[in-house]
Amino acid sequence: MQEAITTSPERSPSTDEVDPIDPAIRIRDLDFLYGSNQVIHNVSLDIFPKEVMAFIGPSGCGKSTLLRCLNRMNDLVDGARIGKGSIEIHGVDVHDKSVDVIELRKKVGMVFQKSNPFPKSIYQNVAYGLQIQGVKSKRVVDQKVEESLRKAALWEEVKDRLNENAYGLSGGQQQRLCIARTLAVEPEIILMDEPCSALDPVATGRVEELILELKHEYTIVVVTHNMQQAGRISDRTAFFYLGKLIECDRTKKIFLNPSKQQTEDYISGKFG
Amino acid sequence: MTPEKEKRHPFVTRLTRERVQESIMFVLLRGMTFFVLFCAAFLFWDIISKGSSKVFEGDGLINWEFLTEHPQTLHVIGEGEDEIKLSSSNYYKLKDEKVLNKWGDFRKSSEYGSARKELDTRISRLQNEWAMESLLVADEKFLVRERENAANKFAFWKEMLADPKTTAEDFEIKVEDVPSMVTQFMLGHFEKERGRLSLVDEKVTLFRATHYPKIENLSPAHAEEVEKAYLAFLAKIPEAYNQSMAAFGAEVTTSYDEFVQTEGPKEFGRFAEALVAYSAARNVLLGQDHDLKNWEALEASLAPFKQAMAVSLPSRDYAYSGGGIFPAIIGTLLLVIGAMGIAIVLGVFCAIFLAEYGKAGKFLSMVRLAILNLAGVPSIIFGLFGFGLFVIFLDWNVSLLAGWFTLAFMVLPIVITASEEALRSIPQGFRESSLALGATKWTMIKTSVLPFAMPGILTSSILGVARAAGETAPIMFTAAYAKRSDLPWEGLEHWTDFFFQGVMALPYHIYVVSAKIPQNAYTADMQYGTAFVFLLLVVGVASLSIILRNRLRKKYRW
Repeated sequence: MQEAITTSPERSPSTDEVDPIDPAIRIRDLDFLYGSNQVIHNVSLDIFPKEVMAFIGPSGCGKSTLLRCLNRMNDLVDGARIGKGSIEIHGVDVHDKSVDVIELRKKVGMVFQKSNPFPKSIYQNVAYGLQIQGVKSKRVVDQKVEESLRKAALWEEVKDRLNENAYGLSGGQQQRLCIARTLAVEPEIILMDEPCSALDPVATGRVEELILELKHEYTIVVVTHNMQQAGRISDRTAFFYLGKLIECDRTKKIFLNPSKQQTEDYISGKFG
Repeated sequence: MTPEKEKRHPFVTRLTRERVQESIMFVLLRGMTFFVLFCAAFLFWDIISKGSSKVFEGDGLINWEFLTEHPQTLHVIGEGEDEIKLSSSNYYKLKDEKVLNKWGDFRKSSEYGSARKELDTRISRLQNEWAMESLLVADEKFLVRERENAANKFAFWKEMLADPKTTAEDFEIKVEDVPSMVTQFMLGHFEKERGRLSLVDEKVTLFRATHYPKIENLSPAHAEEVEKAYLAFLAKIPEAYNQSMAAFGAEVTTSYDEFVQTEGPKEFGRFAEALVAYSAARNVLLGQDHDLKNWEALEASLAPFKQAMAVSLPSRDYAYSGGGIFPAIIGTLLLVIGAMGIAIVLGVFCAIFLAEYGKAGKFLSMVRLAILNLAGVPSIIFGLFGFGLFVIFLDWNVSLLAGWFTLAFMVLPIVITASEEALRSIPQGFRESSLALGATKWTMIKTSVLPFAMPGILTSSILGVARAAGETAPIMFTAAYAKRSDLPWEGLEHWTDFFFQGVMALPYHIYVVSAKIPQNAYTADMQYGTAFVFLLLVVGVASLSIILRNRLRKKYRW
């Protein structure tokens, strides 16, 4: 198994063929541990600018952990640490001591599984990121709030009630508000951790549309349990199993003609 | 088969062991709950019924005197149905009124004219007399006598010192005790003279300070020195005498003039007092052997006026049972506000560290254990701790500041535990979103944890308020006075003095009126009234926090 993993980039030469440009995120030989419990084993993966990359796999396969490594949200967890390997964004190892995690997180935004707007007004939610950066000018903030809400396809629905509590919104609207909140900080990469798992199909559809819209401007990494969703929205898909990257390829290829038996078994519903 | 058995169906009720147990348990559970309810109801009913009779006593709806006055002595006039209860201030007001009435009647009567005429004559005659009397001459006489007296005594003492053997035989004591005996004589003499001399000259104190050590370590040389100093001191006295007597005389004259102008009882009282003071000073300074005839006549002429002023208002007096509890209400409010302020700041900072920054481990569990133990410490121990640290070691004395910190440390465990709980109950998502948007940890706490935890923190502080307001033991050594006539903002020399003054407090006042003074029917009123007001106050402060909490909750609901 160990050999298979180390050779996996070569096994999928298509990545280099499809996008011969520099990757936005370059993960190399990554081991990740919670205390003594290794949850990611020797993962190497490239994510290219302005593509949607989907992470799929059964629960506990380490896909969320990997996602949270990308903007160092795992720093919050006691005992979480990198075993070996590196994650480079724009050629800089994000776990390097010289990296300001605050600046990193501004560039690599994140949307969470459970929509979690702050219990404040819609306006304040979107303006939050700007305000903590010390943007004082009301004009700039107003403009940015509108722009972000428009990008998140929420502006038309909320423009008349910007000062109402965000918890008055529906679940799907709340999730799009969270996306708008992330956009307001002007990230380059957006990480989404199962963004639709708590939403009904209609709301899910709206968010998926939004993701397809956003990929023209942003690099997006989505973790999802929903394989149809991965098929609908992603350009490439990475399949994880037990902390190992089994296969990463163009989404169509993964779904129609996976090169690994495990992948095929998972996609066809034999396990997971 | 009996017919009874035939009637049985499979679901018939049977008295099994479990069923009996069930019934007994139900009765027990219900009974105990009702018992607790009954006790609580009785307690509140007791305090409210007895306390409200004090708070709502009197003419108006609310007994404002009880809420706005200082504690005073209660004067009870009459018995049974006609009983009138008056606090000191009202009692003396009533008495003054009665005096004024009686005086008014007296002034209208014919008696007044003749009494005034008599008094005027006596006074002018005496004024002539004391002008004529030439105090200097009298003083000279007195001084000569005084000098002779002193010289005699000193001669006698020096003789004793010079020939201790004879003295020892005469007094049947040991030879070596003679000097100390002379010391005693000398000190006795000065002590006897002190009152008289200090009437005219405060240098007496200086004389004592400089010469008493010499007397206490007496030798013939010392005795010589002391005698010289004493005679020199006496020589300077006459002038001081004159000044002093002139001052007493002037007071008599001005107060008499005032009385003549207004003819009121108060002015007469002042005049009579001045006269007594003058007469007493004169007796002391000149001795009893001068002519007293005029004085006696003058005193006799005062009698009708004194008669008109004498009003008796017989009352039974009970200390602490009258007046109100205003200073105690203010004191308790101040104590609670300050202590909760300190406790919330300290507690919230501590809780933030524990909940947000602290990493699970030995240190954290040690801190938790310490907090838990702190919560179990009896309040009297907190009192002693505050007394030792703040009152004695930091030298804050019995003061608001010492009380604040003592109470704050007592409620700190409650505040920390509950604040930590409140912080932990904030969804992790708020923290993560905030961090993911590029917030530093402190910005995250400040903007998206603390504001939402505030309702929970306030809830905990409500518990703290009731405890801080109610405890007696921590403040009885550190902050509480049984009685203080100044309110906290009165008589401050500097604004910092505000923090270094003791205050009255409701729980301590309840303790004082129920345990520190003789008990009677009237102190019970005071106890229950205070307890009732105290309950209301705690309910009031707690409601305020609840309202504040609900407002915040409405604002931040998720």
